[in-house]
Amino acid sequence: MSVNEELAIQTQGLVKYYGRVQALFGLDLEVRQGEIFGFLGPNGAGKTTTIRCLLDLIRPDGGSVRVLRMDPQKEPVAVRKRVGYLPGELHLEDNQTVAGELHYLVGLRGRSVDWQEVVKIASRLDLDLKTPVKNLSKGNKQKVGVLQALMHHPDLLLLDEPTVGLDPLMQQEVLRMIAEEQARGATIFFSSHNLSEVQETAGRVGIIRKGKIVEVAETEMLIQRAIRRVRIRFKQAVDVEFLCRIPGVKLLSGEGGLNATVQIDGEIDSLIKALAAFSVSDMDIERPSLEEIFLAYYESGRKEAN
Amino acid sequence: MFPILRHSLKRLAGQILWWGLSLAFLAALLIPFYDSIAQQQSQVTELLKAFPKEVMAFFGNINDLSTPAGYLTIEFFSYMPLVLGIFAVLVGSGLLVGDEERGTLDLVMAYPVSRAAIFWGRMLGFAIAEAAILAVTWLAMSITIAWTSLGIGWGSAALPFVSLFAVVLLFGTLALFFSMLVPSRSMAASLAGFLLVAGYLITSLATLNPDLETINRLSPWKYYQSGDAINGLNLGWLVGLLAASLIFSGLAWWAFERRDIRVGGEGGWHLAGFNLSGRK
Repeated sequence: MSVNEELAIQTQGLVKYYGRVQALFGLDLEVRQGEIFGFLGPNGAGKTTTIRCLLDLIRPDGGSVRVLRMDPQKEPVAVRKRVGYLPGELHLEDNQTVAGELHYLVGLRGRSVDWQEVVKIASRLDLDLKTPVKNLSKGNKQKVGVLQALMHHPDLLLLDEPTVGLDPLMQQEVLRMIAEEQARGATIFFSSHNLSEVQETAGRVGIIRKGKIVEVAETEMLIQRAIRRVRIRFKQAVDVEFLCRIPGVKLLSGEGGLNATVQIDGEIDSLIKALAAFSVSDMDIERPSLEEIFLAYYESGRKEAN
Repeated sequence: MFPILRHSLKRLAGQILWWGLSLAFLAALLIPFYDSIAQQQSQVTELLKAFPKEVMAFFGNINDLSTPAGYLTIEFFSYMPLVLGIFAVLVGSGLLVGDEERGTLDLVMAYPVSRAAIFWGRMLGFAIAEAAILAVTWLAMSITIAWTSLGIGWGSAALPFVSLFAVVLLFGTLALFFSMLVPSRSMAASLAGFLLVAGYLITSLATLNPDLETINRLSPWKYYQSGDAINGLNLGWLVGLLAASLIFSGLAWWAFERRDIRVGGEGGWHLAGFNLSGRK
């Protein structure tokens, strides 16, 4: 495998089986250093399996993995030293306080963590370190997870659903912290079901379906080039049939020649040029959300399967 | 490895205290009866003869009840591996897989600690906990012995505990080894527990039935010296038991280095998956 210096994560042909069930089908993924990469997919698509392969928690049955230019199977300790990880399902030891749990985790990191930093992040997250772990709500447990992933300011953050269980204000705070880590130079790879959050945060997104990457693109580009609806209002009635002849445009309705609704797949440029020959009083472009795009990929996958 | 060891001991502190104090109390309760039983040796022997010899086979030679070694064997050490074996099997089977089933191992394994450090830190914690329980019991026993006519020195009284340590450690490492192979902690504990009880039955009954001697050679109980160890340790047996523990620990480590760390629901009833491609 040729190692790209610019990449924080690189997988090629990653294959993973659980018994007879195949979870990853030759997954190829490239995450650039310093970017925020959103990893999207429905439940069971292979998001968590991919993340656990990156940390050598599970061993792939085929393909190769490089994390920060290292092989996690050959140099697991060196990789984990530079990575912060928030598992999708966080389980903490119940028989101690939050401070006790964090002291233990800080001890595992050696001298790379300053306890003052832990206190500072806890304060930002409004987390009481004296609370027994067994008394923590789901949201507060999630705060402990976020804190332990960020406390050593790693080069790479692997976050599996970082804001799940948090209230909207705390979600914003965590996203701010993630953005600060990126500004510091860290790479952030995170999975989420909250697509508006991914849209807001991630520079690029990857969509995984049934153990394979089906799309990787700049978040904006993905939204730009997706199918969108355009409503046009003409000043005078026109024969809207001309719209059908524009490449990538499908006429959905044309009421009395004054209003028309079209669906456009791809660049909008040709439609604008065609409309220049008419007097247009109003035009409304409906941009799809990342959620709609994701659902479109998911739906098309289901149709293929059927 | 030291943060793991320290944490492991912290988690086992309650068990060390509970088991240590319970066994110390039992030892302190039983030892003072030696003088009165020794004085009434003939009556006690007659009484015990009323029991079927198959029953008495599990407690050692009743004619030795008046000797210090015989008394310690019958009253305490003959069944102690069975009692402490429960601790060893439960702790050994859950040493890593317990955390895995609770989901807490996932986070720890994402920290810059090698699998070897996690494994041996936990393993050492278990061995130290077992030694601590036995040390507390030995202390209570030695103090009580001083008030009787048993006439056993502190050093000699420690020797049966050394033999006990080795046999209990073996069952703990066996449970740990099974936990790396089978799908659940409870299954590993059941398997090791079955071997613990089966070994006890076979070794005890082999004193009555010579036909069992061949299979008895495979039982760790055969190499456990019980109270007889106060007269000197059989170093061959002791080293054999410790070597067997080391082998099972090594095999468990080998398996841990190569297996997937499961999260809740993963793995199910399939045998633990290994990567045998040659890479760790």
